[in-house]
Amino acid sequence: MNKIPDLKIKDSKLLTHLNACVKCGLCADSCMFYKTFYTPDFIPATKVALVSSVYRRYNTMAGRFVPALVGAEDLDEKMAEKMVDLLFGACTMCGRCVKHCSVGVDIAYVVRKGREMLAQMDLVPKSLQATVDAAVQSGNNMSIPEDEFSGTIGWMEDELKDDLEDNDASIPLNMKGKRIFYTLNPREPKFFPLSISAMAKIFYAAGESWTLSSKYYDVTNYGFFNGNSEEAATIAKNLHDEVVKLDASTLVLGECGHGSRANRWEAPNYLNKAYEFEMTTAVELIAAYIKDGKIRLDKSANKDIVTIHDPCNLVRNGGLLNEIRFVVNSAAESINEMSPFGNDNFCCGGGGGLLAMSEFNDRRIKAGEIKADQIRKSGAKVVVTPCHNCVDQLTQLNHTYKLGVKIKTIAELVADALIIEKNL
Amino acid sequence: MATLEIEGKVFDVDGDGFLTDPSLWNRQVAILFAKHDGIEELTDNHWAIVNIIRRNFEEKGNAPMIRTICQETGLKLREIYELFPLGPARGACKVAGLPKPDGCV
Repeated sequence: MNKIPDLKIKDSKLLTHLNACVKCGLCADSCMFYKTFYTPDFIPATKVALVSSVYRRYNTMAGRFVPALVGAEDLDEKMAEKMVDLLFGACTMCGRCVKHCSVGVDIAYVVRKGREMLAQMDLVPKSLQATVDAAVQSGNNMSIPEDEFSGTIGWMEDELKDDLEDNDASIPLNMKGKRIFYTLNPREPKFFPLSISAMAKIFYAAGESWTLSSKYYDVTNYGFFNGNSEEAATIAKNLHDEVVKLDASTLVLGECGHGSRANRWEAPNYLNKAYEFEMTTAVELIAAYIKDGKIRLDKSANKDIVTIHDPCNLVRNGGLLNEIRFVVNSAAESINEMSPFGNDNFCCGGGGGLLAMSEFNDRRIKAGEIKADQIRKSGAKVVVTPCHNCVDQLTQLNHTYKLGVKIKTIAELVADALIIEKNL
Repeated sequence: MATLEIEGKVFDVDGDGFLTDPSLWNRQVAILFAKHDGIEELTDNHWAIVNIIRRNFEEKGNAPMIRTICQETGLKLREIYELFPLGPARGACKVAGLPKPDGCV
């Protein structure tokens, strides 16, 4: 058995939310895991009760002396196993239950606190921890060596010059004093670089002053999911310090749900400081280009019906509902929304680090059937989403449930519709 | 630890269906894993991709960058995505018998 962590938790938010749950059960129907399997343990309130019982055991007088009377339970091996299964393997921290909660319990926050307990006991699922370890040790979550990254960017730059028929087109690396410091999900340079060239094309059309770093370009922060705040802070600090080093005025978070949230809303707390530079997301930046007339789009380039998948950490937990729709409406001829959509949309099923956890693959794909049905019923031929993690889960769902759709990032959709003005 | 049975043969795989012991890989395994993912026949282009991934894994212990695959096979990115609809990681690396790469794949 791993060591029992120090559970004398002084966290007023956790305490308030643990005490607030009235077990009304409204959350049950909002959870894709419960709706898929109908296992009572999967009800969000049950997950809260689990964390609550362990909290009571080590933090209240009654829990310490007469645990059985107050429903306090030891964090023993059996309990730890159950917590790993429910808090890592049956929750994507999508927060849909939070929205439906009758008293506003931040259930995803409670789940994260439960994950923190498990992290202290070294019980983070191996494949998720490997992703964090890679980021801490190499600077990116896929351990891509710097020379291989730079080589790929050079290759994409050559393709971009050909594509735009302009030798001055570029993908700048490690340039100091640019307005924008752009970030990527490592899966882009490693396996799916078309979204890099799409964004480079948008920057080109907008005449933007921008750069990538060859060392710290990774927008992800799986420390947000594994419950280890120190690791989360290390990863966040690497990116923060690199932006300062390259003296950029705005950090633009690439199309990544949790990465945007972790860097923008969580990281200043990890590092306990206000950031020296501005932060925004790729979606908001593109929306601003369109509004300011910096780029022009021809919708007829995207004729197929599009539906939007809302990444939880950008929409329900990030407020970008309208920005995403403004951009997609500007770039495509017709949109059929999913049902439900926007703040009430379902998670793709791969959030919360679940996509990285091989341990729960079957459950993730099964829970994703809800998303597959939403896509099918929308009648769309293209699913657009500003999150690479969602893209990968959707690609698997597309394959498993034979949806026959194309999955695109926002930059890819926009790049296809760009009107490039030639300087004659 | 999970197992995967394809045409009567049983393989130890991780939860994502990647071969647990990459040293047990051979061409027959590739053919069976491809079939399991809906690729009925591995063409020369499929093999060119699989062989490069396999070689990179044996030499460096990981999957190659997509750039290496493109440059060495002469295939375009979109062709690779069409050959392996699950993508280079969950599609091609799995057929090549590699462990699942870390990250959002």
